[in-house]
Order: sequence, then structure tokens, then C-alpha cells
Amino acid sequence: MTKIENVAIADQVDQSSHPSTFLTKYIWSQDHKIIAIQYSITAIAVGMVALVLSGMMRLQLGFPNEFSFIDPSSYLQFVTMHGMIMVIYLLTALLLGGFGNYLIPLMIGARDMVFPYLNMLSYWTYLLAVLVLLASFFVSGGPTGAGWTLYPPQAILSGTPGEHAGIMLMLVSLAIFIVAFTMGGLNYVTTILQARAKGMTLMRMPLTIWGIFVATILGLLAFPALLVSAIMMIFDKVIGTSFFMPAILSLGETLDHSGGSPILFQHLFWFFGHPEVYIVALPAFGMVSDVIAIHARKNIFGYRMMVWAIIAIGGLSFVVWAHHMYVSGMNPYFGFFFATTTLIIAIPTALKVYNWLLTLWRGNIHLTVPMLFAIGFIFTFTHGGLTGLMLGNVVIDLPLSDTFFVVAHFHMVMGVSPIMVLFAAIYHWFPLLTGRFLNNKLGQFHFWGTFLGTYAIYVPMHYLGFLGVPRRYYAMGDTDFIPASAQTLNAGITVSAIIVGLVQLVFIVNVILSTFKGKKSGRNPWQAASLEWQTAQFPPEHGNWGKQLPQVYRWAYDYSVPKVKDDFIPQNLSSQEVEYLTNETVNNQEVK
Amino acid sequence: MQLFKSLQEKPWLPIALEQQANLPYCVSGKENAASTALRFFLAVITVIFFLFTITFLQRTQSFDFQALSGEPWLPFTNANVLWQNSAYLLLASISIILAKKFAKQQSLSAIMISLTTTAFFTLLFVSGQVQVWQQLNQSGFYIYTNPANSYYFLLTGVHALHIIGGILVFIRCVWLFAFNLSYQQLASRLKLCALYWHYLFFIWLFLFFLLTSDANTFKTIALICGF
Repeated sequence: MTKIENVAIADQVDQSSHPSTFLTKYIWSQDHKIIAIQYSITAIAVGMVALVLSGMMRLQLGFPNEFSFIDPSSYLQFVTMHGMIMVIYLLTALLLGGFGNYLIPLMIGARDMVFPYLNMLSYWTYLLAVLVLLASFFVSGGPTGAGWTLYPPQAILSGTPGEHAGIMLMLVSLAIFIVAFTMGGLNYVTTILQARAKGMTLMRMPLTIWGIFVATILGLLAFPALLVSAIMMIFDKVIGTSFFMPAILSLGETLDHSGGSPILFQHLFWFFGHPEVYIVALPAFGMVSDVIAIHARKNIFGYRMMVWAIIAIGGLSFVVWAHHMYVSGMNPYFGFFFATTTLIIAIPTALKVYNWLLTLWRGNIHLTVPMLFAIGFIFTFTHGGLTGLMLGNVVIDLPLSDTFFVVAHFHMVMGVSPIMVLFAAIYHWFPLLTGRFLNNKLGQFHFWGTFLGTYAIYVPMHYLGFLGVPRRYYAMGDTDFIPASAQTLNAGITVSAIIVGLVQLVFIVNVILSTFKGKKSGRNPWQAASLEWQTAQFPPEHGNWGKQLPQVYRWAYDYSVPKVKDDFIPQNLSSQEVEYLTNETVNNQEVK
Repeated sequence: MQLFKSLQEKPWLPIALEQQANLPYCVSGKENAASTALRFFLAVITVIFFLFTITFLQRTQSFDFQALSGEPWLPFTNANVLWQNSAYLLLASISIILAKKFAKQQSLSAIMISLTTTAFFTLLFVSGQVQVWQQLNQSGFYIYTNPANSYYFLLTGVHALHIIGGILVFIRCVWLFAFNLSYQQLASRLKLCALYWHYLFFIWLFLFFLLTSDANTFKTIALICGF
């Protein structure tokens, strides 16, 4: 028998041993689909914690000093943990660990990731990172309240909540997370490059895979900056080095530090932090492209441009980081450079928005729940993106940077928007996981509650920013230049936020109910052309494809092809297998 | 170039019938996957050391930075110990190439000798580095007393962790060979180990140069880099 190493992955017959015990099948599983679900459940669970934290913050802002369990320290701790959990432990983990894991092998026609054991290790290491982070709620002093950016020197100084165990657990947890991400990321990139089915050229890959691919490369190159800064800050805190710590007088006491640069930390942090925006956004761009094309029954407009735009955005994302630091002060030429690159990145991004709209234009739009969320995303992303263009300019950023305008901007662009796509993706791919639909009525309610609710939160928040309401403050106090009506607006935002939070419970209930009692979807319910819907068994089982891997004859967007019987052609269907309409049928259809 | 060519494909065009019978592969073979993953991993490590280096170069220009060589009383004005350590790592790097060669020749005793030599010299390097740390501490060059000391301990520490990671993979490779790897499989795994070891060596040479430079060299580098 031919040894498996000498055969192309695309030609290898299934020799994997299928897990048989509950432990190997569902707990210590090496199946990418199970690992994806493990990642997703953990990410959503920890995301719910972050959602509750945001509710607590909003309670304080909307109704100051009404709740005795929220004091200035705990408010800062809520802000910090909410931000870090949402950006890293929810969005990055769910988009790449969850959807990346689930979709990569299925969409490129592979049996699994190329290193399944490493993949399993990646999830358990991620879980360890989450547990270490959550442990900080239970240690003396509580979690760190340094803000999600963890800027030194204040992050490790007395006076900041959680300056001992809290900040240490945060830094250690981040380091562990980066190890987990690196294990997963190496797997995603290698699988996409090496394990694609026969015929699956790079340019036949669905845009979801392109988004995940480039985002993973960004993650592999950007997370080291966070690792480096975390290690150096741990040294400053524990050993007393002065990488980031200047000579400092803290609470009347002269510390031993000298000569360190807090600005250096900011550079490192944002060298990670800005690509992180695109680590979250690019998979979302890819997934929304696929959802729009499938539910509009039209090929994605400008596929090549979409791929090039993803690559261009990925490249540019490494040269814009200092636009987060205008208020820290910098050489004006630097400011000019970073403002320019920031505005340039809007070009490929806008191109993508136009292409989504042009895909919808004259499409056969099915207003399913995934499509509603996808269209909702176009709105929220455009709004968030436009305020990003404003803030990219130094002169506009300086007065607005420390106000709620920035909070509204980044929540619209990298909070609400990716989450709209995540919901679109969950509603879209749920039948692939379970063979059942999510409940449509509950889904519609979920969409409108979330979409309108987030606008009710963030539109007034922009206005608060214009009024000069500062962010990060526990309470505004007596501030003459802010009218009293701002507080009424704040209360309204809080009520909206609580409603949006409760609407998410409807989604959780929907997932649980539909998993067991949802309407059966049957095979390929959306009539999609991409490979993940064409597996031998439905839902796909371990090994995905049975004995032989599929062969790919076309791209993933053959929808409404003229003179073809069905309005989609699966990627694994050769030209000979496509059923065409007869001339008579075509004429009849034209008459109709 | 191949990548740019691929990116110009027009996937919406139908493919010809004869092309359907001859669909392209992406690439082939399990070894390729490991090799690709290793190259990406080394890229990640490169970014880590690159970022440390940038922060280091910036820090060299601060008022309290005291380079570790240049004056007779500084520890690395005479860096013989570090040269000796470098020689150990070079010998480890050479012996792992020999191990790969012997694996191809299926010469078991030569493989055993060269693998043992690799492990021996690598561990000698690590213990040599630990000795340098001890000497620095004994001479009063503590990790927290000067940024140059801090960076020395930090960068060599991270490099040592990088080596220990390599040693663990190396041990696994030898362990598998003892039980079920063929000579051919051992050779292909040792090829990757060799790449890792060469990389370790070049990173070390870079760190060696960086950490033992004198104040004037740092001034010149900072001038060129614009710090």
C-alpha cells in the first residue's frame, strides 16, 4: 500500500480512525467541527460575562450613584474586563477559533486541519487563558481596572484597581491566549495553503476563507507585539526593571524605576491593537460576502477586487497604529503620515461596501434572518466607518478622542458590525451544524431588537461626544459646559442597552430550543454553491467527505447562471454534470 | 511571482473540458505542511525578536543606559565566554545536519552519535548562558540596575526558552524514531529540526552583536534608524 506521506493531501483516502468514546468524540476531540463548537461555546459564555459588565457600566452612567455595588473602582474594572473580553476572548476567538475551525476544512475540501492534535491543544490552552482571566474576579483586589489598553505606568501602580494580582492575571492570561492563538493560527494558514481539494485554486476559495486566511496572518504577526509588551510589563512589575516605567513619585513615595518609556508601550500595544481591528473585521467581511451572495442569488460583485481589497487592508493595517496615539503627542510629520495611511485604508474598505451593495442590486434578495443581519451590517459598518474617517484626522481626533464619540465610533465599527455578521453567520450555518433551522420568528425579533436597539444606543452616544461628555469617567459631576439634558440621554441609552441585552437572551433560547426541536432543514437548505454544503453526510461527520475528497471545478459563486436548470451550481459539479434548460423551456421562461 | 499570477485568475470564467480532467493540486505531502507551519512559526519568532530589538535600540538612547562593553570594567568588553557559547551552538547546528545526512544513509550508529552530539552541545550552550547570568549577578550587574542588563537577561532568556522548545520537539522526534519512524521519516523531521537550529544560531549571533555593542555603536545605529 502507498504510504500516506507520499500522496498529495487531496488524493489521500480516508485512513483516519474515527473516535468512538464520548471523551474522544466530544471532550478531547481532534475533530475541527467539535473544536469549533468548543471554541464558540466558551467564547459566547465569556462574552455573556462581558455583556453583563457593560450593563453594569450603563446602569452607573444612566442612573449615577443609584447602585451601591458599583463604585469608582469597580466601574473601571468593568470597563477593562468588558473591553478585553469582547475584543480578544470573544470576537477573535469566535471568529477564528469558532468559525475558522468549522469552515476552513469544509470550505476548502479537507478532512480536517493538517495538525488536529495541535488544534485540540489550541482550544484547551484558550480555555486556560479564559479561566486565568476570570480568576481575577476572585482574587484580592479584583481584576485590573487599568482600561483595556493597560497603559503603564498607571496599570501597575498603587491607586489602580487590581494593581497586584489583577494585572498579573490579565498579562499572564494574554500570554497564554497568544500561545493558543499561535497554535491555532499556524494550523489555519497551513491547512489553507496545503490541504485544499484538487481544483481549489486560491482564487476559487470563498471570500470567507480569504478573510480568515489574511486575518490569521495578521494575528500571527500582530499578537507578538502584545506578547512582547506583556512580558516587559511583567518584568517591570515583578522584577523592578524599567522598560516602560519612568522615574515616578507614586502616592508620595519615590519608586525605584527610572528612564522607561510609557509611550513605547503604547506603540507596541497599538502595533497589535490596530491590526486586531482587522483580525476581527476581515473574517466578518468574508462571511458577510458569502451570506449576501447566497441570499441574493447572485455572484459576488467584483470577486477579484474583494480578494485584493482584503489583502490590501491587511497590509495597510500595520501602518496606521499611531492614529490611536494622536493625543499622546507626536512629531507633526508622523501625525500626517498616520492620518494619510488611515484615510487610504478607507479606499479598499469602501470598495468592499460598494461591492456588497452592487451584489444586492437587482439581486433576487431573500429577506431571511441571515440576510437581514448582513444588510444590517452594511448600515452599521458604514456608519462606524464614516466616523472613523473623521477621527483619522488629527485635528478632529484631538478634541473628540476622550469623549463618548470615540466610544460610539469603535462600538459601531468593531463591536456591533462584527457581531451582526456573527449572527448572520450563526443563522446561516446553523443548519450545517445541526440539520435544523433556527426559529425564524424569534430570529426576526432578535434582528430588529438588536439592530434598532444598537442605533438607539450609539446615535445618541455620538451626540454626547460632541457635547464633550468624557469617556472612562465614573460620574460626570458638575460640569458646566454639559447641559443637564445629557443625563436624560444617558438614561435613555442605558434603557436601550438593557433591552438589547435582554434581546440576546431570546437568541440564546432560540439556539437551545432549535438545536433539539427546530424545523428540519434538509440538505443544503439555502441552495449554496460552496463546498461545505456538499458533504457526503449531512450534517457532516468526522472526516467530512467519506472515502474520497471532493474535486473543485468552479468558484463558489455560480448563482442564477443563465440557461442552467437550478439557480446555483455547486463547486464540485463538473460541466458535464450540470443540467441545462432546453431551448423550449428558456423561451417559455422569457415569455413569462 | 506565482502568487501574483494566481491572484490574477478570473475564477468566474468556465474552465475547458480538458482542464477538468487535469485539475490542479495546491501542493502535496505531509512534510510540506510541517515545513510551511515551521516557516510561519519562525516568522512569528522573528517578529518577537524584531519588536524587542526596536524597543532596545530606542532605550539605548536614554540617559540611564550603560552599554555592557566598551570600557575595561564592563562584562562584555572581553566576550570570550559568549564566543565559546556561540561555538557550542554552531557545533550543535552542524551535528544536526550530519544526523540528517546519516539518517538518509540509514547508518544507525552514526545517527545516534550525531544526535547525542547535537543534544550535548545544545545543552552546553544553555548551561553556558546560565553561567553568564550567574557571573553578571556576582559582578553586581543585576537585571534591574540598568536597562542594558535588563535587556540582556530578557533577550537571552527568551532565546533560551526558544531553545528549550526546540529541544522538546527534538526529544519527541528521537522518541518516535525509537519506536515507529522510518529512516526516511527521521531524515525529513531532522531537516526541519536543522532549520530550527540554524535559525536559533543566527538569532543568537544577532543578539550577541546587539547586546555586546558599545555606546558608540548604539549611537550610530540610533542615528541610522532615526531614534
